[in-house]
Amino acid sequence: MNFTSIKTAKNHGRQDILFGVARIPNTNKAYVGGSDFKIHEVDFDQAKPELREFGGHSSYITSLLLADGALVSAGYDGKMIWWKTATGEKFRSVDAHKKWIRRIILSPDGKTIASVADDMAVRLWTTQGKLIREMTNEHKPLTPTNFQSMLYASAFSPDGKFLATADKIGHIVVWETASGKKVATMEAPIMYTWDPTARRHSIGGIRSVAFSPDGKSLAVGGTGKIGNIDHLEANARIEVFLWEKAERTAELVSDKHKGLVEHLEYHPKEGWLLGAGGAGEGFLLFADTKEKKFLHQEKVPMNVHALASGNALKSIMVVGHQRMVLFQMEG
Amino acid sequence: MSNPILCGSEEQKWSRRKFLTTSAGIAGVPLLAQESLSRELKKQGKSVILLWLAGGSSQLETWDPKPGVITGGPFQAIQTSTPGVYISELMPKMAKRFKDTCIIRSLNTKNGDHGGGAQLMMRGRRDEASLKYPDMGAVLAKELGNPQSQVPDYVSFFLQTEGRDFSGSGFLGPRYSPMELSKSVQPENIDRPDHISTSDFIDRMALRDLWSTQFEKGRSSGVLASHQQAYGRVKGLMDSKKLFDVSLEPQKVRDRFGPTQFAEQVLIARRLAEAGVPFIRVARAWWDSHGQNFETHQEMVPELDHVMAALLDDLEERGMLKNTLVITLAEFGRTPSINSSLGRDHFASAWSTTLSGCGIVGGSVYGKTDAKGEKVADGEIGAARLLATIYRALGINHQKNYYVGSRPVPLTDPETQPVKEVLA
Repeated sequence: MNFTSIKTAKNHGRQDILFGVARIPNTNKAYVGGSDFKIHEVDFDQAKPELREFGGHSSYITSLLLADGALVSAGYDGKMIWWKTATGEKFRSVDAHKKWIRRIILSPDGKTIASVADDMAVRLWTTQGKLIREMTNEHKPLTPTNFQSMLYASAFSPDGKFLATADKIGHIVVWETASGKKVATMEAPIMYTWDPTARRHSIGGIRSVAFSPDGKSLAVGGTGKIGNIDHLEANARIEVFLWEKAERTAELVSDKHKGLVEHLEYHPKEGWLLGAGGAGEGFLLFADTKEKKFLHQEKVPMNVHALASGNALKSIMVVGHQRMVLFQMEG
Repeated sequence: MSNPILCGSEEQKWSRRKFLTTSAGIAGVPLLAQESLSRELKKQGKSVILLWLAGGSSQLETWDPKPGVITGGPFQAIQTSTPGVYISELMPKMAKRFKDTCIIRSLNTKNGDHGGGAQLMMRGRRDEASLKYPDMGAVLAKELGNPQSQVPDYVSFFLQTEGRDFSGSGFLGPRYSPMELSKSVQPENIDRPDHISTSDFIDRMALRDLWSTQFEKGRSSGVLASHQQAYGRVKGLMDSKKLFDVSLEPQKVRDRFGPTQFAEQVLIARRLAEAGVPFIRVARAWWDSHGQNFETHQEMVPELDHVMAALLDDLEERGMLKNTLVITLAEFGRTPSINSSLGRDHFASAWSTTLSGCGIVGGSVYGKTDAKGEKVADGEIGAARLLATIYRALGINHQKNYYVGSRPVPLTDPETQPVKEVLA
């Protein structure tokens, strides 16, 4: 991939803050959702991208995906809601978690949805909303200093046999999807800052995870140790593990960008890693995790909260703080 | 020779004029009656526990939620025990036991600087170039404290390092300065030295007392009395160490407050109030959430909710709530707008405080902000009126004068009126 060829194809300002995006395959259209509690169908190619607005949650929408021809949304209200894409009609709502749902993802075979939430439960669902299994005992509800923890990130392995989840204090778990059994744990404590002296609260957490194409490595994203936790002032950080050995193999720290890595995604064939996120402003990070170096670091004009790729990562949709941008790269 | 304190300002002219039109500097209250009231007030054993939310907590994530609007953030509002009154879903325990609390949602204090805002909210006004005002802790230590008491009058916990250094007794002098606890919940340097045994210490105190008593015979001097009082207070402070020992509380009480540092300090504050300390501030830093505001409040507000509810329950069960005023206050609130780091910044134009217990109309709300929380829509008050309201809730005349030299200085600026709707 020619990373330096990356260019902004479309750049749209918005009033709201977007946390979730589900791309309509082979198009530049997507469903986005965020701080206005609503779902918007948008076309990045249009000067006025808004096509439709529908439904909504009773709090921020944090995650969207397309499964079995339906759109599934999740939010801080703890609900997962199914929508008919043709009409925008809600046809199913599930009280999926007792606290904020941070992310829902679809298994590679398209049959299972995994949800993670601040009730520290990991749940597997059929695409029709039936609970298959839940894993609840591994991510602790309280931090070591007795404050509520948060469960931010999840990813399926490429073959769907494993699910990785990661929380605020930097605890990572790999589960066997079929049984719900824990098969590995790792720690990335640098991504969690507890300030016991000056400010006495915390910041950070692992915000993103991704399996490598061969399924052997697991990348986690967040930020580094923070001095003044009033701000996300530490540099963006990625760690990579050989998860079966629980062995850390790479630590990548951006020298150009601060903030949280909120999305990670490996190129399925070339094996490089894409990270996206930000703080006051955003970034795209392209990394060679074997060589332990960044291949390219691209500034984004807003804090990025979610990303949807297309065309083997040559087309990258990012959404975030009052903006959504479409990047394109040459292969 | 000119008096450097008396600069001849309009305020001073007003104060002198006001002083001359009254018999004793307090409108309509003769001096002897005032002294009698003051003595009576001290007997009532009133206390204030100030929960100081240092750094500025968000009113939108606590006492004045705006769910569903662009500034509202992700949290829902839940109904309190008062129908029609909603607070953030992060505060379910306070929502249930709202009956003793009044929310004031209409503070406009115009100072969005940490240091300046903290000074303003603790004093109710800005210092003058030549006059440093006492903060409310010092004022209440003087008004509610018993001069003969051997426990401290003003205790301030501020264990975090961010946002300190704004307490002050101003012109009231060091007698009313706080006992600052900044390294540990236990006071430092009040232990008997190891090389002096308990019996030696008692003997020395008795000998000093004997000599002092003999020396005072036939002499009438305020200085001598003060000297004796000072030794008494030192002895009292040394003896009061057990008040700061939270392990002396039954485990079930400790469990009720919870395991956090803030919880322990608030429980100690209750112990101090029970022992007659009139003003205790527990600072809980640091709420300055320029980045990740919602994560910060998701972490910190449940602790506040739990500890505050536990404190009010505990005070009520001990029969102390009618004489104890619990305040939540900060230097300012936070912006309705959400910045690009998902943070909220400093905001002093429309924010909230709460008063619970002594002298307060519980289960109530005073003032209102607009739909997005950007402006005060009704009942705007500033720091001076808030302090006047606090003083009146405790039975203190907020226009009472202190004297700096011959200059009368009222507790709150002239013409300041308490918020009557808040007062029981």
